[in-house]
Amino acid sequence: MSEGRQRRVIRTDLLARVEGEGAMYVRIDGREVAEVKLRIYEPPRFFEAFLRGRAFTEAPDITARICGICPIAYQMSAVRAMEDACGVAIDDGPLRDLRRLIYCGEWIESHSLHVYMLHAPDFLGYAGAVEMARDHREIVEQGLQMKKIGNALMALVGGREVHPINVRVGGFYRAPTVAQLRSLREPLLRARETALATVRWTAQLPFPEVERAPELVALADPGGYPIDLGRIVSDAGLDIAAPEFDEHFIEEHVEHSNALHARIRERGSYLTGPLARYGLCSAQLRPLAGEAAREAGLGPVCRNPFQSIVVRAVELVQACDEALAIVERYELPDAPAVEVIPRRATGHGVTEAPRGMLYHRYEIDDDGTILDARIVPPTSQNQLAIEEDLRAVVERELDLADDELSLRLEQAIRNHDPCISCATHFLKLTVDRG
Amino acid sequence: MAEARARATVVIGVGNSLRHDDAAGLEAVRRLRTRAERAGVVVCEQQGECLGLLAQWEGAGAVVLIDAIHSGRAPGTIDRLDASAMALPAELVGSSSTHAVGIGEAIELARALDRLPARVVVFGVEGRCFSAGEGLSEQVRAAIPALADAAGEEALRLAGRSATG
Repeated sequence: MSEGRQRRVIRTDLLARVEGEGAMYVRIDGREVAEVKLRIYEPPRFFEAFLRGRAFTEAPDITARICGICPIAYQMSAVRAMEDACGVAIDDGPLRDLRRLIYCGEWIESHSLHVYMLHAPDFLGYAGAVEMARDHREIVEQGLQMKKIGNALMALVGGREVHPINVRVGGFYRAPTVAQLRSLREPLLRARETALATVRWTAQLPFPEVERAPELVALADPGGYPIDLGRIVSDAGLDIAAPEFDEHFIEEHVEHSNALHARIRERGSYLTGPLARYGLCSAQLRPLAGEAAREAGLGPVCRNPFQSIVVRAVELVQACDEALAIVERYELPDAPAVEVIPRRATGHGVTEAPRGMLYHRYEIDDDGTILDARIVPPTSQNQLAIEEDLRAVVERELDLADDELSLRLEQAIRNHDPCISCATHFLKLTVDRG
Repeated sequence: MAEARARATVVIGVGNSLRHDDAAGLEAVRRLRTRAERAGVVVCEQQGECLGLLAQWEGAGAVVLIDAIHSGRAPGTIDRLDASAMALPAELVGSSSTHAVGIGEAIELARALDRLPARVVVFGVEGRCFSAGEGLSEQVRAAIPALADAAGEEALRLAGRSATG
């Protein structure tokens, strides 16, 4: 091999416990980035087949099992799609409030995990949360406290903390009492203070000067910052309703990944998630969250993926403040659910999971049997944009040693909190046979 | 909740029932639940992300964890690892995940924050298949009674010790 055309290969298993399920591969020929691949294992494909033949009422409970971190997102997209198929819309009132409340709980849990435990170590120079905890106990304790309030919201509205059982098509099996919700007020006030402090703390972290330009795609809800409903909009002028998803987004099989890569027709990669929501809807933030963002120095749009930690902190303020408003105004609904009668139809549901837009489509029969299911998770939508980020990092940091470059690349992936595989828990143990 | 079970012994089955052998920990705690609860042991399941374990064992004096293991040995092989005083083998405590905290990291995080019960014992069973789908492989299914017995007896022993201690 001639000098100047040396080949370097950098590969990393991104998920220590799940060999091969999440992996990164970068090949550099000389000073040229020849190949960048992010391999993602994706459970939703299995679930699409698993759902066929099931009752339409089972979709929220089955799809909740796709992800241990964002079960509510799966439940909410599923119930909205089924209600859409059956001609029912829960767009206001206490039932929608309860949905937004439990979704706020999930945002708080998921963002806390990412901000304090997974992302913060990158900026403070630690390999992970365990190493960071020894020197910065207070950061990890804050993370656990925030997660606890998220858990409390999920447990109270969802029936239990993990894989909530209280969500159903049409609403809930049981509505919490007014007193139960009011009991969350004090813990939420404390959590909101912690979230505000977290915005200030994350804002002063050292960020590389990076600007990325993928098309930003998020829901737009005229009533506020998007969580549970809205039209799909982008900064390139896209403005469509959920049923038009297929006309504008395509998914392609790529050889190196189990996942399908999504792209916008005739344009290419796009980004969903906190940076997209913030970039498109920062004006809709509640005043307290908007003020925190301004004080942190974020403009109306943030295109530096490393600063997503600040944006997630702003969304923590948003979720705590919104949850507070809901527990303060909540009144018991007349019934915990509205009646949803099945009919032969196709329904679409799209909501904002913590890590981005989550689209569900179901075709059901007259008796409510699921004939076809399609689930497009945020990570497969973001995959191309993440690979483009990786390519930019390699081009910028070509002179770094392999292990340092590998760390930068992992950080670039972590910026987007991808759901590489969250569906297994087994321990990976290497046995020394010597 | 934490006060109610202060210094109690907790058994937690960790896994996902829709990832074949990953469900082994859940199957095992379901089998030992009645006997253990009769002896005052708190029995729970963890199907979400592992930081949730810190809340489940909060205030407990001892915890027994049951999980599936992936190491390339014969499926059904049972391990007992004592993590009370030292970390699980380094391979279990990998911190390179972009998405979640593992069981080994949860233990070490708790240790760093003084939130780890005094006794921590992990039982693992070697799995064969972790792909999406229901049902344990034959070898893992066959190992569940022995796994549940071993973990259950450990929990009863720890509960007896903390009750008299």
